[in-house]
Amino acid sequence: MTTVEQTPVSTEDVPPAVKRGTWRRFRREPLGLLALGVLVVLVFVAVAAPLLADYPVGYGDQVLAPPSGEHWFGTDSLGLDVFAEVVWGAQQSLLTAAAASLIAIVVGTLLAVVGAYFRRLDTVVGVVVDLTLSLPILPLMILVAALVGPSTMTIILVIAAFSWPEVTRVVRSQALAVVRMPYVDAARLMTSSPVWIITRHVVPAVLPLILVSVVLTASRAVLSAAGLAFLGLGDPNTWSWGRILYEAQQAGAMSTAWWLPLFPSLAIFLLVLAATMLSTAYNDARNPRHDKGAR
Amino acid sequence: MSLFLFVLKRVGRGVATIWFAVTVTFLLLRLLPGDPALALASTNMTDETRANLLAEFGLDQPLPVQYVKYIGELLQGNLGISFTQNSEVTTVLMDRLPWTLLLAGSSLLVTVILGIPLGVLAASRAGGVWDRIVQVVAVTGQSLFVPSLGILLLYVLGLRLGWFPIGGAYTDGTYGGEWYLSVLAHLVLPCLSLVLAQLGAYVLTMRSTLIDSLGEDYVVLARANGMPARRVLWKHALRNALLPTTTLVGLQLGFVVGGAVLIETVYAYPGIGRGIYEAVTQLDFPVLQGAFLLLAATVVVANMVTDIVYGVLDPRVKAAS
Repeated sequence: MTTVEQTPVSTEDVPPAVKRGTWRRFRREPLGLLALGVLVVLVFVAVAAPLLADYPVGYGDQVLAPPSGEHWFGTDSLGLDVFAEVVWGAQQSLLTAAAASLIAIVVGTLLAVVGAYFRRLDTVVGVVVDLTLSLPILPLMILVAALVGPSTMTIILVIAAFSWPEVTRVVRSQALAVVRMPYVDAARLMTSSPVWIITRHVVPAVLPLILVSVVLTASRAVLSAAGLAFLGLGDPNTWSWGRILYEAQQAGAMSTAWWLPLFPSLAIFLLVLAATMLSTAYNDARNPRHDKGAR
Repeated sequence: MSLFLFVLKRVGRGVATIWFAVTVTFLLLRLLPGDPALALASTNMTDETRANLLAEFGLDQPLPVQYVKYIGELLQGNLGISFTQNSEVTTVLMDRLPWTLLLAGSSLLVTVILGIPLGVLAASRAGGVWDRIVQVVAVTGQSLFVPSLGILLLYVLGLRLGWFPIGGAYTDGTYGGEWYLSVLAHLVLPCLSLVLAQLGAYVLTMRSTLIDSLGEDYVVLARANGMPARRVLWKHALRNALLPTTTLVGLQLGFVVGGAVLIETVYAYPGIGRGIYEAVTQLDFPVLQGAFLLLAATVVVANMVTDIVYGVLDPRVKAAS
């Protein structure tokens, strides 16, 4: 979502000075910068996985070896290098999270914004969102993933299918407020095209919320994907952080080899923590009135 | 009278939500590529066997007919026959439901009991050392993958220190009071894992709403009148800050159930979640479907109760509805 700086139309709602102010204030948040740094490192590991480690496949000679100079994170019950699994798992986990959250954000925002503009549609959207959010999502995802059969595509679509209502809920309340603003009425006088008004006025106004949603939805997607993989519904052909835990549980090595659950767990923890802190820091920086001590 | 109407409305909404869950499940089972009736037969069967199987499960009939039949069966409490255990899904799951209810319910209770005072502690010393510590613990718990948390507690408190038993829900061969004690001992670790995972949401909500209500005029006035700070905090400010926390219970119910599914897998706890784990490996679709519906109904009913309690606590809700 680097389009913020490139969207010239957003100047009507968010003047460039304010945006520069956001970045300036953000730079003063040590925790926010640290979180951003952690995320950048994780993305780098995911992209550079082929350079960092060989893809773990087959059998190794040392089974369940603790961490050493040769195997930084130890080896699993098949003798595979856990460091390589975590590195390649980063690629799979981040890919799943990015794809699922992208779909969920696009669908969720579209429904929220279009719904806010066309009130009749909004009633339907609102009811579906309320109903979906009051159901336990993980068991529903499990049912669908088991029916369709585990593959990376299934996991992405299943997570996206049940993540958009949360995005819609957050964006919708803001969009409803924006649609009632006088400048939207003024725009209605100037053009009869709802597409123009929605893309030029409503979407830019909810953009900051969408940016926060991207980060939070992606981190929740990592947790959902890990949850599905932990129950044996991950892609059986690719390493993901959840699958390392699943394999350890299946092999009964969870309690004897502490390094098996530790490293993938740490990776998930770091990612989710960094995402949460980044969105908090961004929110604080965006809203200068926000009293840091009081939040 | 208005209270009666309010309760009626909430019950109606609960029924509508359950109907939604049932319909979604029905459509998923019928429209998704995987054919549940065919999953138990081999892939290289003849067309005749396939047709017989479809007829046996009523899958050759038009969709609306299937839908009406499906709902009729559900209303009689019939969720189908488990593929692998050769018994009714309802029987299989009803044996497991109490354990899940015990685990999820106790964790929710402990979370609320711990979360409210911790939130008050953080809010009353906003910006101080205790506030920082409470916040760090809250955010850390929220960011942990629930099974990771479970494994950590299992490894440290169960295995290394040996304080609590691990695996299962009770000790075999114990009776009476001893049995109850063993149930309690087996509950501690899975329950604590869920508590730590949920606590953050409660503490942070409690903290921010309490800070808001501490800034309200009536609190300032009470202070100005010379009322002791402690009394203002616990009697006046807390009362209003409790309402958003009640809403949170409803919002978090789905998360608790999802967390319970994962934690039961870690601790081999004999609840619905463990049942789901086993059903996934055996591709036992009727059990998965039944488990989802049962958990959904549980969440909806619990949510309904929370909402009604909320309505009774806050007169504005009744008036507005």
